Amino acid sequence: MERIVHVEKLRMKFPGDESLLFKDLSVSFDRGEKVLLLGPSGCGKSTLLQVLSGLIPNSIEVPMKAEELKWPTSWGYVFQDPDSQFCMPFADEEIAFVLENLSVPKQEMKERIQHHLRQVGLNLKTIHTSIDTLSGGMKQRLAIASVLALEPEVIFLDEPTAMLDPEGTKEIWDLLKGIGRDKTVIIVEHKIDHVLEFIDRIVLFNDDGQIIADGPKDTILSLYKNEMKEHGIWFPGVWDEYIHDNKPIREHQSSDGVPLMQVQGFSGFRKKEEKIKVEELQVHSGEWIVIRGENGAGKSTLLHALMQFIKTNGTYELMGTPIKRVKNLTDHMTFVFQNPEFQFVANSVYEEIAYSLRIDKRTQQEIGERVHSLLEVFRLEAHQDKHPFQLSMGQKRRLSVAASIVIEKKIILLDEPTFGQDSKNTFALLEWFEEYRRRGITVIMVTHDDHISNNFATRIWTVKDGDVISDEKVSTQSGFVETKVLSF
Amino acid sequence: MIVSSAETWLHKVNPSLKLVALIVLCIVALFIHDLNYMMNVTLGVLLLFLCFTGHSIKHILLLSIPFCFIFISTSLTMILFGKGETLWFEWGLISITEESFMRGLLVGFRALLFAALGLTFSLTTRPVNLFYSLMQQVKLKPKYAYSFMAALRLIPIMMEEFQTIRNAMKVRGFEKGKGIRSVYFKMKAYSIPLLSGSIRRAHRIAVAMEAKRFSDTRDRTYYYEFGFSKKDHGFILYFIILLLAGFYLSIQFPLLPI
Ligand SMILES: Nc1ncnc2c1ncn2[C@@H]1O[C@H](COP(=O)(O)OP(=O)(O)OP(=O)(O)O)[C@@H](O)[C@H]1O
Ligand SMILES: [Mg+2]
Repeated sequence: MERIVHVEKLRMKFPGDESLLFKDLSVSFDRGEKVLLLGPSGCGKSTLLQVLSGLIPNSIEVPMKAEELKWPTSWGYVFQDPDSQFCMPFADEEIAFVLENLSVPKQEMKERIQHHLRQVGLNLKTIHTSIDTLSGGMKQRLAIASVLALEPEVIFLDEPTAMLDPEGTKEIWDLLKGIGRDKTVIIVEHKIDHVLEFIDRIVLFNDDGQIIADGPKDTILSLYKNEMKEHGIWFPGVWDEYIHDNKPIREHQSSDGVPLMQVQGFSGFRKKEEKIKVEELQVHSGEWIVIRGENGAGKSTLLHALMQFIKTNGTYELMGTPIKRVKNLTDHMTFVFQNPEFQFVANSVYEEIAYSLRIDKRTQQEIGERVHSLLEVFRLEAHQDKHPFQLSMGQKRRLSVAASIVIEKKIILLDEPTFGQDSKNTFALLEWFEEYRRRGITVIMVTHDDHISNNFATRIWTVKDGDVISDEKVSTQSGFVETKVLSF
Repeated sequence: MIVSSAETWLHKVNPSLKLVALIVLCIVALFIHDLNYMMNVTLGVLLLFLCFTGHSIKHILLLSIPFCFIFISTSLTMILFGKGETLWFEWGLISITEESFMRGLLVGFRALLFAALGLTFSLTTRPVNLFYSLMQQVKLKPKYAYSFMAALRLIPIMMEEFQTIRNAMKVRGFEKGKGIRSVYFKMKAYSIPLLSGSIRRAHRIAVAMEAKRFSDTRDRTYYYEFGFSKKDHGFILYFIILLLAGFYLSIQFPLLPI
């Protein structure tokens, strides 16, 4: 087999870090292989992918050293964030940009653009469609189409489905299976359900960025289960084991007394258009509500409406007080944004968590204690002096949660808090929320993860086309599900 | 401009040529000191703006509101406070003389002309087309052209982000510190994360561009090719005729007696 990507004794360190991220790491890939890089959050998978493609150090300057380094001659890279990988406003122009870079004659461009869009199943009314009007899944398809336009030998994928719902995720992987057949594909992904059928080799990393195992997928999956569990890597059946070991119990809180939150004939508006509608809902303390629905159904909008980020209509009462008369809404509720980067307001991880405490004029000592305990829970101690943007995907996510819950509130709203997270951190987060819930705090979260709705939620709301269409109570003991259909 | 509109012949004029022609006209306008001539030229440009940008009348009228404001404010200052000999009216500091009145109108029309040219241009030229044409006709380096185009994409993203940062700060209790804390303090608090976020996003787009094999060579091909056509001749001719006929008419049939 011909080696196509290769690195020997790689050493690198981000400026300002104390220890090396990689120490004498060697790995190589043969033509046609489909490889999955697995490891805990923050171990350096994304960074390694950038080194293997040559983005580091050619485009991103990071000091590094390697005895041998072979980059593929032609490659494509699909990034996590659909938004920051386009540089043109329209779909056809974006692919044309790639074709221009390859000096494809103008006469052939239209046809090639159509061809690549067809390849990824992106059926646009016209190829000249504004990228801003595409959904997350469609954007990722477009990103893949423009990668295909490069006619790459090697495709690098860094959690390409991190921002998509399960449906979209499955579609993207099905698509990649088809078009990746005769290419070398190197993948970083936490949620491996759909990926496993596609790949034939797994490289396993530990927390220190060392390779602990590398081999055919079946061997790795059967021999290294304990290591995977120990390092918090998702492997098939990890949830079953977790439930078996921990048996999360959801004893119901009594739901009488004044509801914490009550809405009736409530709707939320974006740009003067009604985007979400709720007929009637009551929320009591100690509930864990999961909001489900497809991409674009209006889940985030519902949270934004409850948080009063957008204009709303109808009755909305918080502990019996109409929302308009609640003085400081944020004293009672907190919110974790879907895209963690959007909410960072400080220049270091430490300051990010301390921000609310400083505004609240807490004492220096209290701030120090509180921040350090959160840094520990969310495993960010080693990165406390970094800029929030320099964190890995999973670390950013955890930081955004830590920063929002540093002062305890009665209601926590979260928008997909567990994507891009390894299993260890996911369970840690969930247990943290569960502990809150038992103390009577209400958790309302948008998530696509059925395991969370099946094992932690006490209630599930389903949103479809801007409508909350069902509200079901879940209770684990009996497995009895009580559904209250709101509208159709 | 994002607002969609019908395509007119103005859209089809080569963007670089359009840009150069409009800049030249602006410079010429600086040297026109005859009010009648100025008025004729301005009317000619307004004609383009009102009838040939392909936008709906409603839209055009809306855009004209700031126009009238520019015209009135620039001419009024000159009219009311300018110096002159033939006094028409005096009241305290305010003195209107014939000379100041004429100068005021001249300056007002000049401002109107600049605004009309600028708007006509931006209403009929997509930025992407302009940069493609600049790369082809003016040999602008692709590096700069594509950076500008990517930056334009960032603007709406930044606007959205501003809202999000406001919300984020609200969640974290920032708004509580209301009261005397000045607008300045708030602006600072919002703009720093906004800027640092944009810089990092821009950097990420730059990396994505390089991942798509972008390089600064000039032998790239172009999805949009721009050349010159009859429309361009027509466009240039329109302005030449406008300048000549305007001059002739201002002497033969002056709108205002001077
Ligand atoms: N630009 C940077 N400057 C400083 N440190 C960085 C930078 N980028 C990443 N790091 C650090 O390097 C480590 C590895 O990051 P990387 O993004 O490769 O992790 P990852 O394995 O992809 O994690 P995740 O699964 O959470 O995405 C992290 O600890 C991160 O904080
Ligand atoms: Mg990563």
